[in-house]
Amino acid sequence: MADLTVSLGRLQLKNPVMPASGCFGYGEEYASFYDLSVLGAIVVKGTTVNPWPGNAPQRIVETPAGMLNAIGLQNPGVPAAKIKIRRLARYNSPVIVNVSGHSVEEYKEVISVLEEESTVAAYEINVSCPNVKAGGMAFGTKPEIVFKLVTALRPLTEKTLIVKLSPNVTDITEIATAAESAGADALSLINTLVGMAIDIEKRRPVLANITGGLSGPAVKPVALRMVWQVTDVVNIPVIGMGGISSAEDAIEFMLAGATAVAIGAANFVNPTVCPEVVAGIEAYLHKYNFSSVREIVGLAKRADNT
Amino acid sequence: MAKKMLMEILKHEKVSSNVFRLTLGGKLTAQPGQFVQVAVSKTYDPFLKRPFSVHDCSADTLTLLYRVLGRGTGLLAGKRTGEQLEVVGPLGTAFPVETADRIILVAGGIGSAPLFYLLKSLRAAGKKVTFLYGARSKEELILREQYQMLADEYGEATEDGSCGHHGLVTELVADALDKGRTVLYACGPEAMLRAVAELAKANNCSCYVSLEAHMACGVGACLGCVVANAQGEYVRVCVDGPVFPAREVF
Ligand SMILES: Cc1cc2nc3c(=O)[nH]c(=O)nc-3n(C[C@H](O)[C@H](O)[C@H](O)COP(=O)(O)OP(=O)(O)OC[C@H]3O[C@@H](n4cnc5c(N)ncnc54)[C@H](O)[C@@H]3O)c2cc1C
Ligand SMILES: Cc1cc2nc3c(=O)[nH]c(=O)nc-3n(C[C@H](O)[C@H](O)[C@H](O)COP(=O)(O)O)c2cc1C
Ligand code: FES
Repeated sequence: MADLTVSLGRLQLKNPVMPASGCFGYGEEYASFYDLSVLGAIVVKGTTVNPWPGNAPQRIVETPAGMLNAIGLQNPGVPAAKIKIRRLARYNSPVIVNVSGHSVEEYKEVISVLEEESTVAAYEINVSCPNVKAGGMAFGTKPEIVFKLVTALRPLTEKTLIVKLSPNVTDITEIATAAESAGADALSLINTLVGMAIDIEKRRPVLANITGGLSGPAVKPVALRMVWQVTDVVNIPVIGMGGISSAEDAIEFMLAGATAVAIGAANFVNPTVCPEVVAGIEAYLHKYNFSSVREIVGLAKRADNT
Repeated sequence: MAKKMLMEILKHEKVSSNVFRLTLGGKLTAQPGQFVQVAVSKTYDPFLKRPFSVHDCSADTLTLLYRVLGRGTGLLAGKRTGEQLEVVGPLGTAFPVETADRIILVAGGIGSAPLFYLLKSLRAAGKKVTFLYGARSKEELILREQYQMLADEYGEATEDGSCGHHGLVTELVADALDKGRTVLYACGPEAMLRAVAELAKANNCSCYVSLEAHMACGVGACLGCVVANAQGEYVRVCVDGPVFPAREVF
């Protein structure tokens, strides 16, 4: 059996597959379908200091091979989230908490509330939510601001600090480099692409928020390209995501340079997609005689790859 | 507990110009009011599963009643007996059984779908049930005979007067209510649900409504399907509903 373990900073994962934030609630929602311990990590919903109500409905709309969402980071706030997160201790998978806020102070406070929680193995700093007015993506589109935020958060924790990048920028590699130089242990990409849909009968935008974030198979080529570009310029591991729906998709991301992968909207369509991807990666490694999944990371870039 | 399974199409019948009854084989037991998510395609387009209420259910069959609306239900209508469909369920809340002197079920058009299973279960439990059915026209009183046969009391209303009372079904509800001693279960267009909820409130009766919302996951994970409750907080139709006490959401 091939070795599936990978590391993100000091965090060791038993395999490189995890759900993407916001697509897996606080974990329990999928526990009736399989044992969550098969996951490389459990990534929970974007969490803020205070409860956020989220955006008015309609919040989602199906699009060709994907969907738009404008949830607006609805979450119960970190004190209530903490209790939900503790319940995940029963699974044998590290928990990664996606963190958001309106200000640097708010990001700091979420981390300080969770720092003592042994269940929390890592933070994924969301500087890329396109669906909130203040905070979210506003933090993630300028390298200086990302640098400042990550610099402020780095001293607060020894846990793995992951920065989640927005694709809605001119040059994602600049932001990636800024996060790395401020001390991020790993990067996640991509968050959703800003888009919209119009109802031609009602003659107005379908989403109450007007715009939403596009995800699902439709965004995969864009995400893959960005993972390729970012892994060219940084030395920290990248969690690749955007449209992954099968083991084949996940393997593409790893060949492009991703050390691990996250699966978002595909969970909605196939609630057992995550364990299926773990099994599919393992079968691929076996078929081509790789002894470790780490051997395929970035392999598509290597000139000597035959 | 919800699971994902492949179910075989045992029967697929056209019951009106645009409504189909789909009987699937497999062990998926649901309570009246619950729903399932059905894959209408094996490709990524359309991407999401489609939510449908359980119209009827036995130990090894599950029946859905659906109206062809857009692309997804259009594709579903083309599926043949013997084909397999991926189904996730059972999902959501059920209609709670309450003891009351009078039980009234109020259906609006295709909203009748989950109320057949509820009617059957209540009758099997020996309860007396009044079934009130409304639609725009007689043709949209889909499968009206099956409700008429099973209910102790049956009333119908059409907006064009082509069958039963000429007007809205809520006008029949007002007549059938016993102040303080009735429980109402309703599924149909939102305007109808609101009107039924108002009547229930005015007459001090309990009332349950089944809501619809655009859904992605169906299991409470994406927060895509929310509606504002009476306190203005967003609740998920897929797990906190689809069946809600009317006073919680209106
Ligand atoms: C809990 C629940 C139970 C339902 N039960 C039934 C039933 O028993 N019989 C029945 O005929 N219909 C039922 N519906 C509505 C049914 O889900 C939609 O008619 C169907 O999804 C339309 O798909 P489409 O691709 O044909 O339409 P399109 O308009 O092309 O669909 C585009 C997208 O919008 C969504 N959508 C469109 N209309 C609705 C709607 N009214 N509610 C939710 N999502 C919608 C689709 O799921 C899809 O994601 C139910 C909906 C919910 C939420
Ligand atoms: C409904 C929904 C909610 C999301 N919520 C969050 C969130 O809270 N925080 C975050 O960083 N990303 C969030 N995302 C983005 C995903 O984590 C992921 O980056 C994106 O959807 C691309 O992956 P996919 O194509 O596999 O869905 C959300 C995506 C969806 C579809
Ligand atoms: S459909 Fe995802 S939370 Fe209800």
